[in-house]
Amino acid sequence: MVTIKHYIKQLLKLVPAILLLGCFSCTSTLQVEGDFPRPVIHQLPLQVAVHYQDDFRRYRYVEKSEKRSKWEIEIGNAQVALFDTVLPAMFENVVQVSNIGPQENTDIDLFFEPYVEEFQYNMPRETKVNMFEVWIKYNMKVYDGQGLLIADWILTAYGKTPTAFMKSEENALNEAMIIALRDVGAGLSLKFSHIPEINSWLNKHGQLQ
Amino acid sequence: MKNLFKQTNALYLLLTLALSACTSVTIDQVKHVPSELKEGESIVVIGRRSGNDYETEPELISCIGKTLLKGDNPMNVIPEQEFVNRLYPWFEARTAPVHVWDLQRLLSFDDIAQIIDEYNVHYIVWVDGVTEKTRGGGSISCGLSPAGVSCFGFGTWDEKAEYEASVWDYRTKKLVGKVSSIADGTSYMPAIVIPIPLLAQVQSQACSAMANQLQSFFSNSQNQAN
Repeated sequence: MVTIKHYIKQLLKLVPAILLLGCFSCTSTLQVEGDFPRPVIHQLPLQVAVHYQDDFRRYRYVEKSEKRSKWEIEIGNAQVALFDTVLPAMFENVVQVSNIGPQENTDIDLFFEPYVEEFQYNMPRETKVNMFEVWIKYNMKVYDGQGLLIADWILTAYGKTPTAFMKSEENALNEAMIIALRDVGAGLSLKFSHIPEINSWLNKHGQLQ
Repeated sequence: MKNLFKQTNALYLLLTLALSACTSVTIDQVKHVPSELKEGESIVVIGRRSGNDYETEPELISCIGKTLLKGDNPMNVIPEQEFVNRLYPWFEARTAPVHVWDLQRLLSFDDIAQIIDEYNVHYIVWVDGVTEKTRGGGSISCGLSPAGVSCFGFGTWDEKAEYEASVWDYRTKKLVGKVSSIADGTSYMPAIVIPIPLLAQVQSQACSAMANQLQSFFSNSQNQAN
């Protein structure tokens, strides 16, 4: 009887270790969350309609490589929140539309459509640098009020955060993601009117001061 | 009696190691022009985040800010995150002014100048550097035993905290000086059943040294002005 009790005690001691080992095959899920400040920039007096495709709204990166830890990173909500903060600071009036093309009862100057081309991340153990890193490659498309493509350019976002004592991988990766999204917000708001085709369109329509 | 001897020896070993886990700090200061921080004026302490393989830790910046808020000569320090958020996207890692003359570019935007004036900022202190592990040695092994998890061994590692702060005068758009702080230390981790970390407070020592230097940087300038 004593022996059985002894074995049960020993097995109970092993439970945390077994759970820990089991979790090496678990999938880590990260729903990226954070707040974004409103940019302090010169606002263009334009009516802009933004179109988020479903792929963009629900963008989710799923790690498929067998050699890497299983991660599912949901970015959709966070990147929509970023654009919903940045675009109203850039333009006088911003509305959301479900398709690109002339809209009823509204005079839209430009349509804006962001798209995620590529997403990459690095964990500290992979790079030997104590840093969580994130890269997002966006394709930005801008159309005129009739739905004709004016400009199409690539904007890259980069975010990194160092490892820290007592900080989980989820928290660190979330932090790097937020920094990357802030970076794309900075790039979009500061470079928008410098894109040659946009600059030309703005000049033609007398929107540049 | 034998147990008491063992306990005394262990205590002696721990105390010796604790004393050894100390840090040496080197500080330096260069002042190009006299500077004065008047009552009601503020300073901002911001970390450089543009390095490829490191970034100045936000906790170090926060530590310097908190230390400057205390003491005999407390300063108005604007929290880094608040300042960076208010001025988004001008002080992000890839957009922040690198040279003091870049401030002119920022001031061409009235809204930015207005926000900085609201805070009554006189000095912007850019801190660049990192705390990193420079060497590690020893080994600790842990395993499951009938008594539970137990560890045995000895680990040691060196850390170096190297920071340099550039002080920009926002009003005159000049670099008024530089303050540097280098801290070295060795941490130890003996493990007899449980690991006992004896950590060298390298980063916090670098923070205290940097904050003290900045305090003297501005208080000296006040004396000079008087």
